[in-house]
Amino acid sequence: MKQAVKALGWATSIFWIMLLLFTITVVYSALQITPSLGEPSVSHSGDVLTTSLPMALYNGGFYDISKFNLTTLIRDQSGQTITGSSTFVPIISSGANTTITHTMSLSIEQLTSGDLSDLLFNDGELDVEAILRLVYARAFPIEISLNLSMPWGAPFANLTIGDVSASPFNLTHIRILLPVSFENHSFLEMNGTARLEIVDRLDRVVGNGSTTFMLPPENRFETDVEVLISGDPSNIREVNLYFQTTSFNYGPLVISLV
Amino acid sequence: MLPRVAKALAKGLVYFVLFYALPMFLVRQVSGFAPGFFADYEQLVTLFAAVIIFFAVATELTSGTIYQHALNIGKALILIMFVVLAFDGGIMKLDLDIAEGQRIGIIADLRVYLMMLVAIDLLGLARSVLQAVKFLSDKTEKQVPQPQPYEDL
Repeated sequence: MKQAVKALGWATSIFWIMLLLFTITVVYSALQITPSLGEPSVSHSGDVLTTSLPMALYNGGFYDISKFNLTTLIRDQSGQTITGSSTFVPIISSGANTTITHTMSLSIEQLTSGDLSDLLFNDGELDVEAILRLVYARAFPIEISLNLSMPWGAPFANLTIGDVSASPFNLTHIRILLPVSFENHSFLEMNGTARLEIVDRLDRVVGNGSTTFMLPPENRFETDVEVLISGDPSNIREVNLYFQTTSFNYGPLVISLV
Repeated sequence: MLPRVAKALAKGLVYFVLFYALPMFLVRQVSGFAPGFFADYEQLVTLFAAVIIFFAVATELTSGTIYQHALNIGKALILIMFVVLAFDGGIMKLDLDIAEGQRIGIIADLRVYLMMLVAIDLLGLARSVLQAVKFLSDKTEKQVPQPQPYEDL
C-alpha cells in the first residue's frame, strides 16, 4: 500500500512537471510564429477579377503547424455566397518558413444567375469572411475567423427609364423616345448593347429598340432610345430590358411604365 | 494545536500569493486585450484560489486525521469539475470587435489539454483514496490486540 501511494505521488508530480513544461513550450512556441502579409494584387481577365494575397509564415517554435486551411467567402447581404476560395497547406514544420498565396476570383457573370442579379443594379455592402483553421502541436485545433464588410458598386446602378415621349411616325407606327440612364459603379468597363422590348397591356411586344454603351468605371450613361411601336402609346405597360456585354448577358429586366 | 494553526495560516498566505495575487495581477495586465473575455477569468481565478486556499488550510488543520484524506478526495473531485468548467468543456471561444463592422473570432479546441489535466487530477484522486485506505488500515491494525507469546508452564 505504502509503495502504491508513493508511486502515485511520484507519477502525479512527474506528470504535473511534464504538463507544465509542455504548457510553457507551447505558449513560447506560439509566440515564435511570425506571420507577414504581402501586398495584395488585383488583376482583371475578361469579367473575372482575381485577388491574390501572398503571405509568409515563419514557424520559429518547437511544434509543427498542420492542416493549415485558409478559406475566404464573400456573401451578399441576404447571406448568399457569391464566391469562395480555399488554400490548404498540409504542414508547416518547426523552423520552416512557408510562403502561401491565397487567390480569390469573382466573375460578374456569376451575378447574373439566381438571386445575385440584384447586385447588378444596386450598390450595397458585401460580407467578407475569412476563416483560418489549423492544428497546432498536433493537439490543438484552432479556428480564427474574421468578418468584415466591403462596399459593392453595381455595374448598372440607378438604372431608370424616364418619361416616354411619343410622336407620329407614319400611318401605322408611332415613334417613342425612352430616356435610359444608369451609372457604372463597378471596377470593370461596361461595353455592350441594351435591347428594349415594349410590351402593351395585352402582353404583346409592340416595339423593339436598342442602344450601345461604352462606360468606364464611375461614369454615367444617358441616352434616348428610339422605338417604333404599333398601337396606342397609352397602352404601353412595361419595358423588357436585355443587356449584352462583353462579360455577360442578362435579361429580361422588367420595368413597369404604368 | 497552535503550531498547526500557524502552519495552516502560513500555508494559506503562501497559497494566496501564488494562486490569487499573482494570477490576478497577470489577468489584469492582459485584460486590456479583451476586457469582456478576461472579466470572466477574474471570477474563475478568484473561485479557484478560494477552493485551493480553503483546502490547503483545512487539510493542514485536520492533518493526522481521516478528515485530511476526505478533504484531499473532495479537493481532487472539485478541481476536476473546476477545470472542466474553466475550459468550457475544452472548447474556448473569444470574440473581439476590432473595428466598425469588423469582428474577429477565435475558437481553440483544448480538449486534449483538458484530458491531460483531468487525467493528472484522477491520479491525485486515486492517491488520496489509497492514502485514506492506508490510514484506516493502519489505525485498525493499531486497535487489534497484539498476540501474546505463549509461555510454557
